Amino acid sequence: MSIQLKNTEMKYGPIAQLFHWVIVVLVVTQFVLALRADGLPRGPALVHTLALHKSVGITIFALAILRLTWRWLNPVPRMPPSSPRWQHVAARISHIALYSLLLIMPLFGWLMSSARNFPVSWFGVATLPDLIGPSEQAFDFFHEGHKLLAKVLFVLALLHIAAALKHHFIDRDDVLLRMLPWNRKRETGH
Amino acid sequence: MSRSKSLLLLPAAFIASLALAATQWTMQPKQSELTFTAVQAGAPFQGKFDTFSADIRFDPNDIGNSRFEVKIDLASVNSSDGERDDTLRSSDLFAVNKWPTATYVAERFEHRGGTKFAAIGKLTLRGVTREVPIEFTFETNKSGAWLKGSGKLKRLDFGVGQGEWKDTESVANEVQVHYALLLTKS
Repeated sequence: MSIQLKNTEMKYGPIAQLFHWVIVVLVVTQFVLALRADGLPRGPALVHTLALHKSVGITIFALAILRLTWRWLNPVPRMPPSSPRWQHVAARISHIALYSLLLIMPLFGWLMSSARNFPVSWFGVATLPDLIGPSEQAFDFFHEGHKLLAKVLFVLALLHIAAALKHHFIDRDDVLLRMLPWNRKRETGH
Repeated sequence: MSRSKSLLLLPAAFIASLALAATQWTMQPKQSELTFTAVQAGAPFQGKFDTFSADIRFDPNDIGNSRFEVKIDLASVNSSDGERDDTLRSSDLFAVNKWPTATYVAERFEHRGGTKFAAIGKLTLRGVTREVPIEFTFETNKSGAWLKGSGKLKRLDFGVGQGEWKDTESVANEVQVHYALLLTKS
């Protein structure tokens, strides 16, 4: 049996799942690094922590672009027909918002770094060009924006998890299972 | 020798000393710049010194009598980030309270052909004096001359980076210095 890499109407394929879970791990890492950086005084440890935060952020940015491209090339598993229409709309809106945040948050971080003349290096391998020149006002704007978006992302992620669990335990449909790599039992639909 | 005769010799001695000295130039501070490129966490960033002066005596045809003396007000460091500038001024880095000025004096020059020159001068920074070679071009025009070039140094040679700032992964040891000085004849 050949491995189905692409999505089907019923289930996310392994590529889409890999994108999802790698980005989950990286986003959690970003929150941990950001909270650690907040507690550090100015010094090399802060420089390292922020450098790592930036490298991971740029990784998420690149993965989000690849993920959206992959999604565009694939069928998207259907929403469960048993759920009411408002839930479909809510799911659609929150998914668009989550994807947008995966792009906008790193972009704001990048702009913040440019505004303070702290260019972004991706793991010391490549240095990204500055998007804007040094500006304290621009830094404050993007910094506040970055922090606000982090809160929005946190709340949306919690809703996303809550919705997945609700589908699994209350609706008893396969919405959660179809994003889990070890689930094999419901692949008979195609 | 009578007093009047020796007085007569004074102008002659003065003229002789002028002939010996290479051209004296005056730096135009507004058009001149002194910048540096340092690497922080793998990413190069640029900064500059807003206040510095350069006493330049230089003649491309008389490098033997040429001399540079540059004084840099370290507190005028400007990396487009106030917090980083404060850190640079602090005791672990430039320690501007103790050593407010860095000085570069060059007296040995070498002609590399055309408008290209090199010099080995002595940089005094944070109480440490060490030789730092530089390369530059010297291009004259009607109104004056442009002196442009660069040099590189290791910050830890001068103790710029004490304690935790000795770490070269967060801030690389090598720092590049660039300068472009607009000079007019004094």
